[in-house]
Amino acid sequence: MKITRNYILFLGLICSLPVLAQNDTLNVLDEVFLTDTKLKDFSTGQQVTVLNDSVLKKNGALLTSALNFNTNIYFKENGLGMVSSPSFRGTTASQTAVLWNGININSQFNGQTDFNTLNAGGFDNISVRGGGGSVVYGTGAIGGTIHLNTNLDFSGKTKQDIFFQYGSFNTMDARYKIKTSGNKWSLSLAAERNSSDNDYEWPIEGRKNENGEFYNNNLNLGFAYRLNEKNTLKFYSEIFDGERHFSLIRPSETKTKYQNFDTRNLLEWVSEFGDFISVARLALLDENYRYYANIATENYSSGEAQTLIGKYDLNYSVSKTLELNAVLTNTYTDGNGSGITENTRNIFSSAVLMKHRPFQKFQYELGIRKELTDNYESPLLFSAGTHYEFTDFYSLKMNISRNFRIPTYNDLYWAGAGNPDLNPETSNQVELGNHFKHKNFKFSLTGYYIQIDDMIRWLPSETGMWRPRNEESVETYGIEVLSGWQKQIFKGHQISASGTYAYTVSENMNTGYQLIYVPFHKATGALTYAFKDFSIDYQLLYNGEVFTRSDNNSRYNMEAYLVSNLGLSYNFGKKNTYKIGARVLNFFDEEYQSVEDRWMPGRNFNIYLNLNF
Amino acid sequence: MKRISKLLTMAILSGFFLNSCSSDDDIVDPIEEPQPEQAYSDGFFVLNEGSSGGGSVTFIDNDLQNVEHEIYQQVNVEDDPGQYIQSIFFNENLAYIVSNGSNMITIVDRYTFEYVDRIDSGLLSPRYGVIENGKIYVTNQGNYEAPGVTEFDDFIAIIDLETLEIEKTIETNTVLEYIHEEDGLIYVQKAAFGAGNEIAVIDSNSDEIITTIGTEETLNSFEIEDGVLYALSSNKLEKIDLVTGEPLVEFEINSDAGSAGKLEFENDMIYYTIGNSVFMMDESADTVPEEALFSYTSNSDYGVMYGFEVKNDRIYIADGGDFASNSFVEIYTTSGELIENIEVGVGPNGFYFND
Repeated sequence: MKITRNYILFLGLICSLPVLAQNDTLNVLDEVFLTDTKLKDFSTGQQVTVLNDSVLKKNGALLTSALNFNTNIYFKENGLGMVSSPSFRGTTASQTAVLWNGININSQFNGQTDFNTLNAGGFDNISVRGGGGSVVYGTGAIGGTIHLNTNLDFSGKTKQDIFFQYGSFNTMDARYKIKTSGNKWSLSLAAERNSSDNDYEWPIEGRKNENGEFYNNNLNLGFAYRLNEKNTLKFYSEIFDGERHFSLIRPSETKTKYQNFDTRNLLEWVSEFGDFISVARLALLDENYRYYANIATENYSSGEAQTLIGKYDLNYSVSKTLELNAVLTNTYTDGNGSGITENTRNIFSSAVLMKHRPFQKFQYELGIRKELTDNYESPLLFSAGTHYEFTDFYSLKMNISRNFRIPTYNDLYWAGAGNPDLNPETSNQVELGNHFKHKNFKFSLTGYYIQIDDMIRWLPSETGMWRPRNEESVETYGIEVLSGWQKQIFKGHQISASGTYAYTVSENMNTGYQLIYVPFHKATGALTYAFKDFSIDYQLLYNGEVFTRSDNNSRYNMEAYLVSNLGLSYNFGKKNTYKIGARVLNFFDEEYQSVEDRWMPGRNFNIYLNLNF
Repeated sequence: MKRISKLLTMAILSGFFLNSCSSDDDIVDPIEEPQPEQAYSDGFFVLNEGSSGGGSVTFIDNDLQNVEHEIYQQVNVEDDPGQYIQSIFFNENLAYIVSNGSNMITIVDRYTFEYVDRIDSGLLSPRYGVIENGKIYVTNQGNYEAPGVTEFDDFIAIIDLETLEIEKTIETNTVLEYIHEEDGLIYVQKAAFGAGNEIAVIDSNSDEIITTIGTEETLNSFEIEDGVLYALSSNKLEKIDLVTGEPLVEFEINSDAGSAGKLEFENDMIYYTIGNSVFMMDESADTVPEEALFSYTSNSDYGVMYGFEVKNDRIYIADGGDFASNSFVEIYTTSGELIENIEVGVGPNGFYFND
């Protein structure tokens, strides 16, 4: 406990120093400058929450933590840093789509994104959009979409950001970012390293988290060049290299580890002529994993998939109030792996979108999408959204859509078991959002209903071989609340607060039971108080109890938990922001698990230095 | 093999851990009276493999009236017998509970279920065990690698009964499953998951494989009775001379309902299952029965007839259910009449008689 004492000393030290901090609670409803322009232009009737850079620095580099503490999304995490799967609005892990600068990056193999295989530090902001989005974003956009964005500007300024954090369990989070630009060009470069021994003590006598160590290195690049007034070229690139050991429930278990190496490249040509904006995109995604079922041997199973996406997007402004947009996409994937013979698949899709604002207070949008592929029967997807501003402080949003999740490589091509006759999972959904705004206070209340059919499940066939089938239907509905408030109370005193709450019912329509690992209640909160150069912030996460048994036998429920983080920072810069800070995570030392027998860390500490110049 | 390795990979890589376990130590059915010292005699144990957390053991008395759940967790608070418990074997007053997922064998007093000791190193995906000649013989399936990835992945661990230290391992290049003892010889099934056609014979004095008996491909279970080895594969029942290894008789089993499995020999009768049906034939019969003795109703997607046993004129069936909630066992007479349906834990896979 010597280390603890040192942290407390350090905390005391910075408290005694003199204080301003930027507003760094969560932004609700704000619009930002994005590459993923569709997010801004075609989200009518839906809500977009933005986690900016300063929020992303609060919860470490694991993206799970940042999203868990700031959004309605529920995460099932097999111990800190381990496999993490989201449930957005009660849906399954493959029904949340992750977009990297507008490109869908869910795994070709299992259709999901593991949120501990992304480094939060690589992005300028992360946006979360609740509800369906398959018309624009394709497969998996049922519960909602998560957008990882790199921003480029032509301000002519150079900004650097150095962030170094060190904490309990030998956890290191180092980030460097530079943004620089001229009149004609813009560059953004970000590099991160995150590693941890992750050997925290369990609340069981003599036990600790074993074989949980991990590291990852991440590099993000964005570059734009203006050819002339009308034409701009942009290039985005990301390299992620990570290794995680998977922690054990008992020391006698076989130790395993997982490596992934993913690269993503996107070339974009934006051209404006008259009332048209044309965007041509070419993206190359490469995902690689190796799974070592026993780290004592050098044997592993693996998979690699390369995806080449060509996209053409033409936007036509018919008038100031009417916009038409056509998007043609061709996605070609070549994948193979230990259980998968090499297979290629090609999917062509066309989408047409329209946005109209007939009155100042009323706008609506419509979209349809259809895919052409040999792989599956492609349903016609659609979305319709409206937004009506009744008064300055109240507006109503509504969105109806049909979305899908296509069969994955594993589903289709697993050697001897893949089922080529699978249909996509399809959802029909509707949501209604009430949005209130008064001075510095924002509040929204959204109700939604989703019915998902043809859910893909792996079951044994007559011969005993496991094969995927379109089997189940799930009905999910609930309420989401998002709120934010900020105020300068006295000169130099700034206070801001934000909160989310979700009530979620997600039922298997065959049995009528709530799905396991979907809590009825989840809430988050954040409070920041800044005085001059000092800032103190508090974060809270509440997850209600979840069923772990499919018959909802409450005797085996995972208990609810409430986790709090407390942070302090001091800006010692004059012109620039030079911050030092410290955080206490799980301040009240809550003993909790998000998955049975997978303990999460108790109270732990970190200190950081953040230089902006 | 392929099935399991795929499952494991899928389970791990998909992040779809749609499962649960039972680390809870609460007592579901409080026992009204203090337990007598020999709490678990005159009855049988149902082994519930559990899902990602710990498995559990249900005790049912011979009258089928008293049922106690999670007896290990009741007696040994704050502990469980491990993940995916696979089997139990007995020696004198001890029971050895094999946990496939936790690579360990928990040793308890078979009458009180109090913890005695634990073997928790050197095992890798252990399956079944027997005790002979002061040694424990345990089959291990290693890393569930696809055949040919490494030559010797599966092994038999030979453990000193007193020190519980592994004395020796015998590696094989095929998957290993059931293990039986007969007259000082250890018979190990070198087949599982619909592949394999051999039974290795180990001399418990030299601890060497002295011979290997060939069977039909897709061997899934075997029994030894009066010098005859009965080997069951998907479509064939063979009688093999135990000494010479020569086939004596073989029966074709053809059914549209699926593959034959789960061979049992009891009171000169042979029992096996196809899908949700139980078949019975006289040891001396010339043909296999065309009609099932009885069938039971199952809604399980992948746990139909997950456990099967015949003992003392009763037939015991375990249904795996959905492996994410409590399931049930059914006890029948040997004429196929249902005596009792009893709720047990998650994924019941076997019956072990304690008398």
